[in-house]
Amino acid sequence: MKQIAIYGKGGIGKSSTASNVAAACADEGYKVTIVGCDPKSDSSITLLRGERIPTVMELMQQGFEISEEDVVFEGYKGVKCVEVGGPEPGIGCAGRGIIVAIKMLQKKSSVMADSDLIIYDVPGDIVCGGFAAPIRKGLVNDTYVLTSGEYMPLYAANNICKGFSRLGNHLNGVICNSRNAENEEAIVKAFAQELGSELLAFIPKDPIVQTCERAGYSVIEKQPDSEIAGVYRKLARSIMDGISSCKPQPLTDARLRELTG
Amino acid sequence: MSPVPLQKEPTIIHPRPSSIVAALYTLRDLDVDVVILHGPPGCSFKHARLLEEDGLRVVTTALDESGFVFGGHDQLVKLLEKVIEKFDPKRIGIVGTCASMIIGEELHEAVLEVNPDVPVIEVEVHAGYPNNTKGVIITLESALSAGILSEEEFQRQKVLLEKATEVEKRHGAASKEYLEPSRGDTKYTVAKRIIELLKAGKKGLNILNAKKETGYMFADINAAVNQVAKELGSTSEIINMANLDENLGLDRVKSHARNINRDLQKMGIEVHEIIGGLDEYPVAGELVNRLIAEKYSDFDFAVITGVPHAIPMDNLQGMEVISVTNGPRQVLPLKEMGHEYVVVEIDLHPKTLGVSSIVESEFGATLRELAREEGT
Repeated sequence: MKQIAIYGKGGIGKSSTASNVAAACADEGYKVTIVGCDPKSDSSITLLRGERIPTVMELMQQGFEISEEDVVFEGYKGVKCVEVGGPEPGIGCAGRGIIVAIKMLQKKSSVMADSDLIIYDVPGDIVCGGFAAPIRKGLVNDTYVLTSGEYMPLYAANNICKGFSRLGNHLNGVICNSRNAENEEAIVKAFAQELGSELLAFIPKDPIVQTCERAGYSVIEKQPDSEIAGVYRKLARSIMDGISSCKPQPLTDARLRELTG
Repeated sequence: MSPVPLQKEPTIIHPRPSSIVAALYTLRDLDVDVVILHGPPGCSFKHARLLEEDGLRVVTTALDESGFVFGGHDQLVKLLEKVIEKFDPKRIGIVGTCASMIIGEELHEAVLEVNPDVPVIEVEVHAGYPNNTKGVIITLESALSAGILSEEEFQRQKVLLEKATEVEKRHGAASKEYLEPSRGDTKYTVAKRIIELLKAGKKGLNILNAKKETGYMFADINAAVNQVAKELGSTSEIINMANLDENLGLDRVKSHARNINRDLQKMGIEVHEIIGGLDEYPVAGELVNRLIAEKYSDFDFAVITGVPHAIPMDNLQGMEVISVTNGPRQVLPLKEMGHEYVVVEIDLHPKTLGVSSIVESEFGATLRELAREEGT
């Protein structure tokens, strides 16, 4: 069983990538589970035709004794969807929410034990112990970093790699979600190489992704023949086949600035 | 299928026993030598100090504000190394706290880094559980995975803990939104009443249903009842029941039962009915209830020490019940159950840590003194 997590700066497109990879793997006959850890709950929504599912944390908050059926929902081609959820902005502790929900899933995850691929769609950046919980609790063995060619997402990606080396975690590849930055593919390729890793996929900026998302679908489901669906499929295949991993060597800030010119 | 809502429980607003402290006590019962509390220096300080009286070393990583912000991994590694060097322990415990658990500290990473050659029981626990028995269960689970507890004993303990929680919710400190602490009836008044009953030749049940080491002092009260009856030349039939089975529970708990039995024997006191082990106080009441129905239904009074609220009232209805507890919040629930007299031994627990023979109780001393006065 493959258990992966995709990290990267907030808003860079982790959830779109995660849900499209999930859908592409489901198309190939893999049994897939996706665990959305972002309080926005947006990694599963495109697999469930725009429907929002109850989150682990909201059920716990209401005092429910949770069983697996209450939080695991079947979406596109049998993809199992779980949303962790979390507090409202400005109150409580989202990191603790992830720890609690991950522990709960660990205890009651008979459905997940059945999967070929489990994707953890983790929030923004490893900013505290809670966000690192899926790795630390041994639920993730492969990790990917998603970035664009702009400075800030690269800074976040580099920071995440610092987190990985601290946790003794390996990096399995860098994914570029294009924002049409100048010289973007070359920049991210160089970044990946300097980390000791490789650029696994270059996802072009395409309005189709947004259009499908607004309608409540993944690209794979709604526009299966589009060029970008092909990119996601190829990425999904390299994730499923991927064996290369490295202990990432984070760049210095000066080098990052140089790269992004 | 929609989720099943948890049964609505009354919200208890007085502070409840802490799961962190429960973990500390459980590690002691598992014969751990040193426990590291990973968290702020003030966490569980009073119990940590008390347990040192009982031979357990409790140390803290003393996380401060910067520890909360930047994590306390290095502090934990350093302290673990220091503990090994300083105390040469055979078994180590590491216990989480609210602070370290919220910030996602990994106890296991520190253990991997230090790699001690003795077992380490890692307990990821905070105090945010409604039942403190949760802290015991988490500790026992960790002990199970560390290979120092059998699956069989683990299951037995789990059942007992569930029962203990039920008892606390039915008639204990978890039964009311707020319980006013009370010192109960004066020891003088109650001792006088027991002497009256004995002088009148009334038949008495003398029941010890104590929790682990607290038995060292509660047993003194049951002993005093026997001694006083003898001294007064009472014709009362006294039946002694006690949860002093020497073959049940963790090794440490078994040794408490052996020590107390040995002392009672020295005093010439016979225990007529063994009603369970010293960790079986939540379930021993069922056996007591049955024994009364079968053999002792015509008795006039009962003295119950330890955890009196775990003894069902069904077959005690016709008797005058005198109970002795160490919980000031237990007085009201016991009165509501129908106990005529409730005595509180206030400092009982601190005095029974680190001992291995029966400790004199205030109530026992009062009884003996009053009986002596009666005799002269």
